[in-house]
Amino acid sequence: MRAPAPRFAANDGVIDAARAALGPWLVDAREHVGEVALIVDRANLVPAMTALRDTKGLEYQQLMEIAGVDYPERDKRFEVVYCLLSLTRNHRLHVHVCTDEDRPVPSVTGLWPVAGWLEREVYDLYGVLFSGNSDLRRILTDYGFRGHPLRKDFPLTGYTELRYSEEEKRVVYEPVKLAQDFRNFDFQSPWEGAEYVLPGDEKGAQAQGKGAQTPASADAVKKADAAPDKTAPANAPETKTTESPKQTGAGEPHPGNKAEDKPKNPDVVPTKGGGQNQ
Amino acid sequence: MGVNLHSGPVEFKPQAHGGSVHDGQAVIQPDQGFFDGLNGELTDKGFLVTSTEELFQWARTGSLWWMTFGLACCAVEMIHVNMPRYDMERFGAAPRASPRQSDVMIVAGTLCNKMAPALRRVYDQMSNPKYVISMGSCANGGGYYHYSYSVVRGCDRIVPVDIYVPGCPPTAEALLYGVMQLQRKIRRAGSIER
Amino acid sequence: MSDYVDELLHKTDAADPTTGDVSIQNYTINFGPQHPAAHGVLRLVMELDGEIVERIDPHVGLLHRGTEKLIEYKTYSQALPYFDRLDYCSPMCMEHSYVLAVEKLLDLEVPLRAQYLRTFFAELTRISNHMLNLGSHVMDVGAMTPNLWLFEIREDCMNFYERASGARMHANYFRVGGVHQDVPLKLLTDIADWLDTRLPRLFEDAISLVANNRIFKQRNVDIAVVNREDAIKWGFSGPMIRGSGIPWDLRKSQPYDAYDKVDFDVPVGTSGDCYDRFMVRVEEVRQSARIMKQCLAQMPEGPVLATDRKVTPPKRGEMKRSMEALIHHFKLYTEGYHVPAGEVYVATESPKGEFGVYLVSDGSNKPYRCKIRPTAFSHLQAMEFMSKGHMLADTTAILGAMDIVFGECDR
Repeated sequence: MRAPAPRFAANDGVIDAARAALGPWLVDAREHVGEVALIVDRANLVPAMTALRDTKGLEYQQLMEIAGVDYPERDKRFEVVYCLLSLTRNHRLHVHVCTDEDRPVPSVTGLWPVAGWLEREVYDLYGVLFSGNSDLRRILTDYGFRGHPLRKDFPLTGYTELRYSEEEKRVVYEPVKLAQDFRNFDFQSPWEGAEYVLPGDEKGAQAQGKGAQTPASADAVKKADAAPDKTAPANAPETKTTESPKQTGAGEPHPGNKAEDKPKNPDVVPTKGGGQNQ
Repeated sequence: MGVNLHSGPVEFKPQAHGGSVHDGQAVIQPDQGFFDGLNGELTDKGFLVTSTEELFQWARTGSLWWMTFGLACCAVEMIHVNMPRYDMERFGAAPRASPRQSDVMIVAGTLCNKMAPALRRVYDQMSNPKYVISMGSCANGGGYYHYSYSVVRGCDRIVPVDIYVPGCPPTAEALLYGVMQLQRKIRRAGSIER
Repeated sequence: MSDYVDELLHKTDAADPTTGDVSIQNYTINFGPQHPAAHGVLRLVMELDGEIVERIDPHVGLLHRGTEKLIEYKTYSQALPYFDRLDYCSPMCMEHSYVLAVEKLLDLEVPLRAQYLRTFFAELTRISNHMLNLGSHVMDVGAMTPNLWLFEIREDCMNFYERASGARMHANYFRVGGVHQDVPLKLLTDIADWLDTRLPRLFEDAISLVANNRIFKQRNVDIAVVNREDAIKWGFSGPMIRGSGIPWDLRKSQPYDAYDKVDFDVPVGTSGDCYDRFMVRVEEVRQSARIMKQCLAQMPEGPVLATDRKVTPPKRGEMKRSMEALIHHFKLYTEGYHVPAGEVYVATESPKGEFGVYLVSDGSNKPYRCKIRPTAFSHLQAMEFMSKGHMLADTTAILGAMDIVFGECDR
């Protein structure tokens, strides 16, 4: 690894040890850019996590983070990622579990009480259910919020916005109305599979009519360059100067823009001799 | 209320006597004639005459107690402006934690949907006359978080704003300038009916 | 009447206390969301028995700005400034995790001078963060003066920030592949002077006012004691886990950038109370100053940004002269760079604890998912068990010792 990222203990043998400890609960294991990821069967998550925490040689004592990821094109669209840390072995690992909107993930609050809020957050942002979490309320979003904002099909700007209504004397929710839409550029080049049609592209599909001009070939361009340009004027144009205001292109000063026409500043009390503010 | 109590000539003004104390030099001394005149009037009569409007404006601009509504990043700069280096209290602007005792609310930071009703409630609890300074891009118009699903696109959707301070976050000097601008605004538009 | 006396006699036990005919019950109070000791926008729904805290339900999310969603719509370099705004008390340390995560996915080599500069400014940030936290902790338990002095140091830190990056707070100074610009020599010498003179004088003066102060100790010693097992179970990190007596510091155990080339000590608490957490932070400031001095001594000359033109933009002067550089500049500032597909969890030791970034890339120029692991989330969750049985007034001390900032907690 060339990047100066945090260097923890080597990954050698971790996958083998995990496979031995978890057995059939482990669906898949991979190592990518120096990080070990275990994909674990959802139903057996709790015993698998217990094994990862308590087995000698694995000892992942701390649960640092639970992250949800949404892959809408997958059959089980959500992935819940548990980031584990071993203080004694100085090693990190993530455990992945796949699920969808309906099938709940067993809660690990019995193993780590810190999971309570982390699961609430994943529930709030993705709508993943956790069975066994006794306090599965929304945590980050607004009171009475609808939808799960970090799903890929949830719009960035949401559906509602807030305003204080002078008539009702309270803060009201309204459908979102933007003065300017969020500008999302895509940078795919037309040669590499952009899906939209650029203006003018539709002409390419039509058959070329008779007598249409063919583009100049490279040879013709070369010849045209070599020939002396006869249309160029013999004498050079006048040199550009800005001696008079007319030549600058600045135009006349606006009639209203005169110092004596400016409104008087009521704050500035003119003192004798100008005062501090003048 | 609603009655304009201003009447008669304004006496609380610098008097035009005494020699010119500054003559275009770099260091501008305070207007000595003004203080001499004031002092003379006070020792002569034992009281000063001014209009109630001037008096109210003087009192309002000179003791802008601000409600600490620190929401996000800007709150740090709001603390900094109150700390010894910038020392906003020399303008009479002291932090108050209670809306009942404060005159101006500095909305410092991103206003989120979940927080907006609380902001309005605090604003409603403040006693008149009350002013609002919107501090930072997020409070001015959503800023960097404008397109987020959970952010109010400008705190002026919730409360009426008097002064907008731009920046992300505005420096402590910028906020200080904003407070001075509010003082100017009060002086200019100040009548007791607000 | 005799009925009434009977009733009184039978009812006056501890389980169901009465005063006359009024039965006493627990009452619920609402702390926040607007409260000067809440360090931002925290709402605590507290159930109190008299002045004893029975139950606390922290309501967070009052500053939920949807950062993670917004990052998915921005390119990698546009997403970087969001990290400044997460923990606005220690902006550069937030950037640190993110740039390391992207570099890990790209497998990008970073010049040594850039590594030292990042270490150097991360430690400056740590000092600046601890100044805010120590000062406000002291202020929450009733002392005013140290805060005024500590903010002088913070003001100096902000000036250094401004001289390095152009911004007082949201620096956006760390970039993928290094740092944005090299620092002038005068800045480094000025910081060196500051480390030798002004910092120790102001800091030690301020801390000497409280460290052995009887009132300060009464408010903090034996408040919210957390033992080692609980600290591990509740996912503590940073000064919180060290305050509980576990010598765990990511800078030491999982060194990144130039931390393996500098020498420093990890302070550890003995009893795991609020006072220990406070003193751990105090010692960390001294150690940070020590690291910064070593960085200054060891920092080599050289480039401050990786030379991979497909990731790091060319210098502006170069862009003005070379066509190649102009194309790279344009492409990197519009489209950005593509990061190879993969997923990493990179955590660094931010001043508040382990700040992690779980980054999923799908090979495009925008992060597919960027999960931010805030330090405050797990600490605040432990608030209930830490303050159970303590007085209402102790909650501010507990909150102060936790060092919570809602920008990162709510994201």
